[in-house]
Amino acid sequence: MSSSVAVEARDLSKVYKGPKGTTTLAADGVSFSAHGGEVFGLLGPNGAGKTTTLRMLSTVLTPTGGTALIAGHDVVREPDAVRASIGFLSGNTGLYPRLTPREVLRYFGRMYGMSDPALDQRIGHLAGLLGMTEFLGKRCDALSSGMKQKVNIARTVLHDPPVLILDEPTLGLDVLTSRTIVDLVKDCRAQGKCVIFSTHIMGEVSRLCDRLAIVHKGKVQFSGTLAELRGRAGDDLEQAFISVLESVP
Amino acid sequence: MNVRHVSIIAAKELRDVLRDRRTLIFMLLLPIVVMPLIMIGMSKLMMSQHRAKEERELTIAATPAAQTMITALASQWQSDNAWAIRALMARIGFESAAGLKDMARLSAKAQDLRRKSEKQAGTDAATLASWKALRDLGEPERDLLRDMDSVSHLVALTNWVDLDAVRGTDRLPPGVTIPADLPPRLAASRVAGAITSKEKAVHAAVDVVDDYDLLLEQASLSVPITVLYDASQSLSKEAYDRLDAFVEALGRAQVRVRLDEHQLKTGFVKPFELKAANLASDSREIQAVIGGFLPYLIILFCFFGAFYPSLDLTAGEKERFTLETLLLAPVSRLEIAAGKFVVVFLAAVTAAVLTTASMAMTFTHGILPQGTAEAFNLEFQPLALVLAASLIVPVAALFSAMLLGVALFARSFKEAQSYAAPLQFLIIAPAVASLMPDLETEIKWAWVPLMNVSLLMKELLKGNYLWEFYTITLVSMLVLTAVVVWLSSLMFRRESVLMRT
Repeated sequence: MSSSVAVEARDLSKVYKGPKGTTTLAADGVSFSAHGGEVFGLLGPNGAGKTTTLRMLSTVLTPTGGTALIAGHDVVREPDAVRASIGFLSGNTGLYPRLTPREVLRYFGRMYGMSDPALDQRIGHLAGLLGMTEFLGKRCDALSSGMKQKVNIARTVLHDPPVLILDEPTLGLDVLTSRTIVDLVKDCRAQGKCVIFSTHIMGEVSRLCDRLAIVHKGKVQFSGTLAELRGRAGDDLEQAFISVLESVP
Repeated sequence: MNVRHVSIIAAKELRDVLRDRRTLIFMLLLPIVVMPLIMIGMSKLMMSQHRAKEERELTIAATPAAQTMITALASQWQSDNAWAIRALMARIGFESAAGLKDMARLSAKAQDLRRKSEKQAGTDAATLASWKALRDLGEPERDLLRDMDSVSHLVALTNWVDLDAVRGTDRLPPGVTIPADLPPRLAASRVAGAITSKEKAVHAAVDVVDDYDLLLEQASLSVPITVLYDASQSLSKEAYDRLDAFVEALGRAQVRVRLDEHQLKTGFVKPFELKAANLASDSREIQAVIGGFLPYLIILFCFFGAFYPSLDLTAGEKERFTLETLLLAPVSRLEIAAGKFVVVFLAAVTAAVLTTASMAMTFTHGILPQGTAEAFNLEFQPLALVLAASLIVPVAALFSAMLLGVALFARSFKEAQSYAAPLQFLIIAPAVASLMPDLETEIKWAWVPLMNVSLLMKELLKGNYLWEFYTITLVSMLVLTAVVVWLSSLMFRRESVLMRT
């Protein structure tokens, strides 16, 4: 494990304003840190505040309190630099249906400042790695959900960012595509990247995560290694997870 | 703002938009194909309806005595003007008319030829000579040709029915009132019922006083001829118009006879004559009409051109979950807004330019039906076109920014449509100004957005350069556009708007 801190959330809070002056506290002082060469799991039930936290890390949302450092850049003060340093994937990051995967990747690559030759080389490499060569020229609206997710993964790692934020990347995918993604996460870890990985699948947590945080009711309720979590419930990860949630008043 | 980022975004959005069928339909198909087809279709329909009305046999109710009088007066007119008609027919190279029905045929033929342009008249030397002779007719000859048409038309195309035999309902439709001072034979509600009924069995009813010949001979009082008709019905109005033209023609002939009898000249009955000397050629008049029509269409199509791309690139992106993907790229939100704005602006300008071009093609290249094309000998001055084009820029920018801002707020394409569609009415109301012939281009209107553009384009296309109006219009439109662009860019920077899904 590399010792360099790649992601550091410092007391991140997000308050949503609703109609008639109502407010919702989606994240309440979330703090954790993750390092290069590490897969950091972010777990929690639906509505716990995971997606809000990840969106704040990716600068799509601005925190109402606290901040975070990504690869040394502040999410509030240097959002452009943060976005250049991360690859973000979630259920809300779609592809342009009227463009081909090659066009989508070129579009994002150019925005990341990549030169055309370097971009084509990178697209070719990723297409081989993820098995996308056959459908690189087809329109995205003609692709299966598995194919689309592969393109999305390629877009996420296209610019070789030091930090990856993956929000339930295997949701709704078949076993083979899920395996491709899991393998890619392992590769990224081996390359010294920091991967923030949010999932509901305990099998993936046990296979991938080095450390994790459990978020519930907008707060970090547990932060530590897998072994530390397992220790709470006699090696049963799922039971340990539930026990953390149940300990919250 | 990084121009490279903006151009990358704009290039992608342009590619994306050009693959969207809805945008292509509104940007290309509608102005290039649909609008000219609608115009040609409407024009053809109106002309054919007009022709059908002119050639239709109408039913007029009259007493047998009145019928006899009308036929007798028509024959009298023919014999009074026989020599003049023969000379006129010879002049335009037509065979001489043998009777009233023949006159109707010849006058229809003459009218048909007059409607045509020289090119359309054909290559046949005789027809061409007739066409030129018709064009060069003097005023008395034109009057005679018109009167010949009026008299023969009524005789040839009237189905006379006996007034006493007319059976109609006594229950008259709402809004129908029988005038108080009608001759008794017309006052029966069954006659009014027959004219106003849905069946339209009778188009008009005519009554003439019994001693008309005595009155005519005494020449002290006019002969009263009463026409009962329904002005709200097109064919009933046509029956009235035919009777009116017929009576006018008879009157003119009768005056000529009386003047001759008393050896008097025309000045005795017509002490003044207004001679119209119109400076505007037909082409200039038509140019003024088109000048009023084009700005409205340009503004409208500019809006249509911006409509679908703006919705697709904002609410459409939210619906497809691609907006969040884009927000993750290392570009600022202002750069995203600018890239999208450029493409929507281009679409709006393209739609406006294509509308103008396709309209010009429709008018000038003889796409319109016979007779109308030749008249559109339009000569718009280059400077006028450049100035008119310069007004499209703020209009397109205003629509683009406005629609992007409104559509971005929506969660879905459908929701965006429901927000943006009512804006059409906001556009149409001021844009329609150019279509109002009596609305003068006063300087105060230069401060009213879109209305100023509409009125000014009309003046420019007529060749009137109103520099003060132009300056105020351009400045006020640019200021308004800048405000709307700024508001729209604020929307792009508002998290609550962008993430409203």
